[in-house]
Amino acid sequence: MARLFRMLLLGVLIVLGLCAWAWLGYLAVNWLGGVTLGWGWGATLGQAVAAIVFIQLLFVMIVATLLTLAERKWSAAMQDRIGPNRARLPGLGRFSLGGIPHVLADALKMISKEDFLPSQSNRVLYHLAPVLNFAPIFCLFAIVPMGPPVPIRHGFAVLVATLQIANPDVGLLYVFAIASLAVYGVSLAGWASGNKLALLGGVRASSQMIAYEVALGLGLVGMMMTAGTLRLDQMVQTQSQGLFGLSWLPAWGIFVQPLGFLLFFAAAFAETKRTPFDLPEGESEIIGYFVEYSGMKFGMFMIAEFVEIVTLAAIVTAVFLGGWHLSPAIDGGLASFAAVLVRWRFGFAEPTGVLLTLAVMQTAIFAVKVLVLCWLQLAIRWTFPRFRYDQIQYLGWRILLPLGLANVFATGVCLLLDPSLSLLGAVGLAEIGVGIAALLWSGAKSTQPAPAPAHVGSH
Amino acid sequence: MPNERMDVEALREDPLEAELPRRNMVINLGPSHPAMHGTVRTHIELDGETIVKADPEIGFLHRGFEKSCENVTWTQCLPYTDRLNYVSAILNNVGFTLAVEKLCGIDVPERAKYIRVIGGEIHRICDHLTMVGAMALELGGFTAFLYAIEARELLWDRVAEQTGARLTTTYTRIGGIERDLPDGFLGRLADTLTRVAELREEIDRLLTRNRIFLDRTRGTGVISAEDAVDYGFTGPCLRACGVPYDVRKAHPYLVYDRFDFAIPVGERGDNFDRYAMRMEEMRQSEKILRQAMEQIPSGPVILDDWRYVMPPKPEVYGSIEGLIAHFKIVMEGVQVPKGEVYAYTEAANGELGWYVVSDGGGRPYKLHVRSPGLPILSGLPHMIVGSMLADLIPTFDSINMIGGEVEQ
Repeated sequence: MARLFRMLLLGVLIVLGLCAWAWLGYLAVNWLGGVTLGWGWGATLGQAVAAIVFIQLLFVMIVATLLTLAERKWSAAMQDRIGPNRARLPGLGRFSLGGIPHVLADALKMISKEDFLPSQSNRVLYHLAPVLNFAPIFCLFAIVPMGPPVPIRHGFAVLVATLQIANPDVGLLYVFAIASLAVYGVSLAGWASGNKLALLGGVRASSQMIAYEVALGLGLVGMMMTAGTLRLDQMVQTQSQGLFGLSWLPAWGIFVQPLGFLLFFAAAFAETKRTPFDLPEGESEIIGYFVEYSGMKFGMFMIAEFVEIVTLAAIVTAVFLGGWHLSPAIDGGLASFAAVLVRWRFGFAEPTGVLLTLAVMQTAIFAVKVLVLCWLQLAIRWTFPRFRYDQIQYLGWRILLPLGLANVFATGVCLLLDPSLSLLGAVGLAEIGVGIAALLWSGAKSTQPAPAPAHVGSH
Repeated sequence: MPNERMDVEALREDPLEAELPRRNMVINLGPSHPAMHGTVRTHIELDGETIVKADPEIGFLHRGFEKSCENVTWTQCLPYTDRLNYVSAILNNVGFTLAVEKLCGIDVPERAKYIRVIGGEIHRICDHLTMVGAMALELGGFTAFLYAIEARELLWDRVAEQTGARLTTTYTRIGGIERDLPDGFLGRLADTLTRVAELREEIDRLLTRNRIFLDRTRGTGVISAEDAVDYGFTGPCLRACGVPYDVRKAHPYLVYDRFDFAIPVGERGDNFDRYAMRMEEMRQSEKILRQAMEQIPSGPVILDDWRYVMPPKPEVYGSIEGLIAHFKIVMEGVQVPKGEVYAYTEAANGELGWYVVSDGGGRPYKLHVRSPGLPILSGLPHMIVGSMLADLIPTFDSINMIGGEVEQ
């Protein structure tokens, strides 16, 4: 009971922290946007700078850093262990703070390690590879809208403050373009190390990432067709409506495009190169493309992996989980709650204030969804064994690719017959039903004696 | 080495159509490599990711076990045997003492036989848990590995109570065992077995029907029954091919003929079958243990024959016969009759054979161990040539090569 209470308290604290972060973020975006507007720079640049600080540095980097710890703690919980709890902050005595000081200890360790250069390596590329790996992944987050746009008056101008760094028309195409760049870092790391095992890892990584680019794209095409746009903020807007006119059932991508969600999630998981897709690393086979890297250079490969987890979670949230929206009914309730809060504070429901309060709450909702998806990825990573090289190619080309094509075709037919999302929603829900039924069926089957070849017989 | 793929003639005729010249890549897995247990080196020639040639090279862990034994008394050999298969030391202890007792022509007390069975089966479960866990670990399933290690840790607590050591037990003595079971041991062992069974079934649920695990292990590292017999496979690796040979059933020793247990037999001889053998044998070992715990009689745990067994301390200090016997055994060793004998038991990985020669003195004249791992390791190239590099890992795990016993 006390444990449950502690967990609840922690959850409330996290949500409150996220709200505070979002509130400060909106203020900063508004302020820097206003300042640069006054300087005649155009507000876009100022807003982008503020968003970079608040999203990339304060959200993505902190979540990614804490994920390194969360992974160790969560895997420990799954494996009946305690996990890291030994590092202490000076002056805090016996408090282990849930192991958070280990993050600092890890960073310190990586920074202070020898910067090793193998004699057979290609000097320039060896140093360049971690950067080439990290930079594109870090850039990916730029188009993710963390919160809804809020129009705020600055004198005569109206500034739309939003927690999004850039909002190009190409939208998701930017994701494909930049995500494919990451393969250079990995394969160059494998090649430039001058190590055969690293080379094998680099080759595996490049072939795997190229194979899964296709499924990654096709998984999203269905949602692009559904929303009729490539821009993520408009996709989120599409998902705010109710399915079949119901106010409690949102038209989230996961309901109208469940197959697309699965394809994209699987393919993006493969792009993060984590178990069960960790062949490029394959720690027990070839040790991996970064076998020759030490210290912070290895740290960059590692943190890139975690940044990729956050990014993947954020893109899935925006495209498939309704972004900052819950169902229309709950959204309406939140709006009234925001109005109540503002009236309680200022005496009347000042419109911008209400919008801003609502935006802060919705940003926190978005962030919570991202965290839940990060957790899901950790749980998957610690449950499954690793694929084999040919099996992963088979899965990519022979299963995910045809499924993606079929999904695009089915989506097109549905949208042609019924431009409102009702038919698509019905098909999607039917797909989910079939999927759950198949899972239950195979689960029921597996309670029967194992299909193991071992038959027990004495002689 | 001339490369057969380099088709120079074709290159001369039509350079555009000719296959590009290429060489196979040679890599060293080990001696320091996460998947090479102990320190074995595997020299692998790769065409892409396909293994063209594999050459396991042992000797990094060679300690001269057989020669060392010639320089110490029979009893002093026992600690050396711990270090053969260090995951299941009691099975080695039992095998060695059975060989010496066969040469001496002595029979140990009933209770000692049961305790030997109990210790041995606990260690058999430990060994199989290690193999299953390591296989899961190296296929990327870290969680199953830690469940296995937790179970093994619980069993090692019992082993420590029973023998005083977790790993290097040195538990048996010529003529019996070193000490009786501690008070309340059997009850605690029953509890531990229950918990181990829970963990085992959890591992089973995580792995046995896991699609990825099945894909990785089914049809990889296959060896036919004929080839397995030709190579000299024994134990779970042989039974996975469908040959129902288990020394405990075929030539029962100790009290194995009194237990009701089955020998699991596979069909395909692939990695999954070898894994499934281990899982099922753990269940059978538990069954044996529970029967042994019921049947175990009371009585002495070691012979009262001072030619082979140290006299009790009051006799040593209180009687001239005891003192002399003590002196003779400590200084000269047990006087084993002249002759030679081959004794074999079912260790965790197969038939553990001891060829013992005595010249009638207190030290072995010659000792040879037929370790189950060596023939199986020598069959490794046969099992993996033509498959992918990634298949080497589950194959290497499923044969469960233990460096200590293979390289001695």
